[in-house]
Amino acid sequence: MSLTRRIVFGRHPRRTLVRVVVLAGISFITFGWVLIPVRAEGISMLPTFESGSLHLVSRVAYSYARPSRGDVIAIRLAGPHVLYVKRIIALPGERVAFINGQVYVNGAVLNEPYVRNRRMWDVPEVTLTQREYFVVGDNRGMRAADHDFGRVDVSRIVGKLLF
Amino acid sequence: MNRRHAIRAIVVLALAAVAWFAWRGRESGDERAIRQRIESLRHEINTSTTDGLGTLAHAAQIGSYFTDDVTIELGEGATPIHGRDTVMGMAARLQPRTAAFRLELDDVGVEMVPGAEAADVLLTASFLRRSVSTGEESRDAREFSLVCQKTAGTWRIARVTAIDTLR
Repeated sequence: MSLTRRIVFGRHPRRTLVRVVVLAGISFITFGWVLIPVRAEGISMLPTFESGSLHLVSRVAYSYARPSRGDVIAIRLAGPHVLYVKRIIALPGERVAFINGQVYVNGAVLNEPYVRNRRMWDVPEVTLTQREYFVVGDNRGMRAADHDFGRVDVSRIVGKLLF
Repeated sequence: MNRRHAIRAIVVLALAAVAWFAWRGRESGDERAIRQRIESLRHEINTSTTDGLGTLAHAAQIGSYFTDDVTIELGEGATPIHGRDTVMGMAARLQPRTAAFRLELDDVGVEMVPGAEAADVLLTASFLRRSVSTGEESRDAREFSLVCQKTAGTWRIARVTAIDTLR
């Protein structure tokens, strides 16, 4: 066996083939169903996530636990290829409002250390159903009209961003 | 389990996975035709022209993808658009502006309506725009629901409704 063939196929080509198939299968399952790689686009999650940064979404994070306040989650639109990335600020059954840019949950001010700049957003109070979470991006320095945020049904949550 | 059995098990699993994906990916001729039609519309929208007659021809071409009585609902606060002529007029007027955008369609799901020459389509439309100053591309993604109808042997869009993913 030539040196090149030995480097490419190994000493036992059949064994190498099996290894390749197993590795491809594991990668396919892991990055297709368990950890989804996503690339952030846009400025709505600044300063936490820069536009163009790469992240992993865990689809199993909520198999045994419920999403909690402060989690950054991926939300599906028509399918899994384009996702919103937002932060949960209110949980099912809670009341949430924006007054002068400050978030109030059940009438109390929410401490948000991840927010740097705030514009004076005003959003009337809404009460979430038992299937809804309230999500918003970390960049509150932009106009509210240019920012996608609001109530999301639990069925749309794909998973939790790990980093 | 010896190594030979393990290899056989892996091969069987791999074949089962391939069969499963083939089964999932199967689609009827109509479903394929609708997908091609939508992809063709996307391509048409992304093809920009600025000369007068070309703009009108281009708008007419875009209009041919819709039924005469198409209704487009872009969500809360936007007036619904009715009729192919209105769509063509808008396409002609807005072309200098839309030329700066690029449209991408993802997750196109087609579901045929049983017993009718109609189909429901769900998709994510992304409008991409590159900033002249920074060169950075921004994406505005929205989910849309479409109703397609087959008229005179051609699939056309009869209704477009924007879906509010976040309410």
